[in-house]
Amino acid sequence: MDDSVSTDPIIQLSGISYSYPGESPVLKDLSFALHKGERIGLLAPNGSGKTTLFHVIMGLLAVSEGNIQIFGRNIESEKDFVWVRRKIGLLFQDADDQLFSPTVLDDVAFGPLNMGKSKKEALFISRKVLSFLGLSSFEERITFKLSGGEKKLVSLATILSMEPEVLLLDEPLNGLDNKTRIKLIGVLNSIDVSCVVISHDIDFLLDCTDTIYTLRDGGIEKDTTVYVHSHDHAHMLGHVPHQHE
Amino acid sequence: MLQEPFAVGNSFIHRIDPRFRLISALLYSIVVAILYGFYPLIASVVISGLLIRTAGLNGKAVLKRLALVNGFVLIFWLILPFTAKGNILYTIGFLNIYEPGVVLALQVTLKSNAIVMAFIAMVSTMSFSTLGHTLNSLGLPQKFVFLFVLTYRYIFVIEQEYKKIWRSIKIRGFSPKTTIHCYKTYAYMIGMIFVRASARADRVYRAMLCRGFDGCFYTLSEFPSSSRNWLFLVMMIFLSAFILLMEFCFYG
Amino acid sequence: MHISEGILTWPVLASGTAFALAGTAVGLKKLKTEDIPKTAILSAAFFVASLIHVPIGPSSAHLMLNGIVGILLGWAAFPAIFVALSLQALFFQYGGITTLGVNTLLMALPAFLCYLLFKPLIVKKNHSIALAAGFSGGAFSVFLSGIIMAALLVFAERHFFGVSMMVLAAHIPVMIIEGIITMFCIGFLKKVQPSLLGT
Repeated sequence: MDDSVSTDPIIQLSGISYSYPGESPVLKDLSFALHKGERIGLLAPNGSGKTTLFHVIMGLLAVSEGNIQIFGRNIESEKDFVWVRRKIGLLFQDADDQLFSPTVLDDVAFGPLNMGKSKKEALFISRKVLSFLGLSSFEERITFKLSGGEKKLVSLATILSMEPEVLLLDEPLNGLDNKTRIKLIGVLNSIDVSCVVISHDIDFLLDCTDTIYTLRDGGIEKDTTVYVHSHDHAHMLGHVPHQHE
Repeated sequence: MLQEPFAVGNSFIHRIDPRFRLISALLYSIVVAILYGFYPLIASVVISGLLIRTAGLNGKAVLKRLALVNGFVLIFWLILPFTAKGNILYTIGFLNIYEPGVVLALQVTLKSNAIVMAFIAMVSTMSFSTLGHTLNSLGLPQKFVFLFVLTYRYIFVIEQEYKKIWRSIKIRGFSPKTTIHCYKTYAYMIGMIFVRASARADRVYRAMLCRGFDGCFYTLSEFPSSSRNWLFLVMMIFLSAFILLMEFCFYG
Repeated sequence: MHISEGILTWPVLASGTAFALAGTAVGLKKLKTEDIPKTAILSAAFFVASLIHVPIGPSSAHLMLNGIVGILLGWAAFPAIFVALSLQALFFQYGGITTLGVNTLLMALPAFLCYLLFKPLIVKKNHSIALAAGFSGGAFSVFLSGIIMAALLVFAERHFFGVSMMVLAAHIPVMIIEGIITMFCIGFLKKVQPSLLGT
């Protein structure tokens, strides 16, 4: 890990293996650590086990081998994972999986209410998060009538309302238009949490994360090599002098 | 697909606590379902019509909903007058029109329209999320309410998925015919809808677990109390009692 | 296929509702919390799929699919169908509030019986037995729904006999098509995702 990080890792996986029933293992003897304040990007081909890795950390899939430590605690039973889920927020790839309540406010308050907060507290936190994301006018909106980008932001709100210390983001930019992209990147850069981000978008990962990892043959590797390179590209009006973001 | 054209409004009925409305609707519908007599039935149609008016609903939209109901009623008109034998009212050629059949068809018509109108006026005037909270605060089992709300939510997602599959079938030149190939295609499409639905269900449940779901459902809703609610309930009880009394007085 | 508002008499409505509520209560009781999303989403799928019209000769009919719902859900078919029918009554004024119980009963009872009778055959390794059971299950559920509906109509009013015979006759082509569709659907699920059938 980075030498400048002195604290103990908040997520530590050692020798993890996981395979779906009747298939060859997706994760094989994988070890990984995330330290406080770290932002890690995960760039790997489809089917290499990125989402599986997240689901293993959250205890949604049970590993066949290996050890999971979160905030220094050994995590084994479902009860341990219930505790983990209060600390770590997972943003699903498909916002429709995450938003199941009729209205936005109901959905954002679902997590805090489950954590034992009173109605008043849950409402307070939910409204705070919604206003932080610029979604204050969305409270009574019906979740399934939102646009794709709005759904993504609201599902982020449902996670943030639980005040997690770590975020796991599974392809957060999928299907977003440019405006929502910029907004989401701004939000991610302005919150002070450790995070792991899965994405196929190199620019986004370079923008939002410090280190980029990749998954290969069931294991995880750091990709630190820097290559000097240049692009040729073509588009309409390319002859007019211009700059790209 | 699921629209709520009547849910938005600011009428007297819209402002009544949804719990009081639901109970009133249930009580009133059950009473109307019991009726046989023409006077009480006509009275109930009038009352239901007045409820629709009080709710300030768009007449055209209400008629559209009623058209569907009356489509079914029409089947009774086409069969009953000729099959429910008794006194002959008219004879057209070799067909006899019997009195009991006409009476029954008329009863069915009045009853169904009265109940459906009342339902539209009192229940369709609340949004679905309100109805979910209402059922919850009326003490229905949490599992049921949750099932109800979740089913509604995912109808929209599944409809989208169905449309995607249907489009991909159509662009490959499928046209519905009465053939085995056609039924097989429908069967595979339905099978695919179920497969995707179950995969979706797995992910939804996982997402809920991630947010600390432990089998309990909490709700945010609170209904402000108002004397108007009681006024409405008492009025509906009174009207129900009134038509019931008519039924007993006139028809024993 | 359902009975609209204002047709049945109160003893029939009351007893139908009582049976339907009992079935729904047992179904809910047996429904584990972790299975609620699955039941709800399959119930939503049932709702959407039952709006699909399939051609029959020059006309078309919408599917009932209660056989396959029964096979997939078992006891939970009662609450799932109850919920789907409530939503239909609420949004389309199909069926109705006072007839919710009888309509649930006439859809869910055959679904549940289909589960009891045909599920054991469907999970068998032998493909032809499974397909035959699929066909029989699909056709049986629709047929039984038709019988229950006709019987309820006649119980309510003996003059409804003519109507009820029409209803029963209308169920026969649907029954055959549901059989065929259920059969292929079972074949599909066995190949694509046997875990849905519990195998």
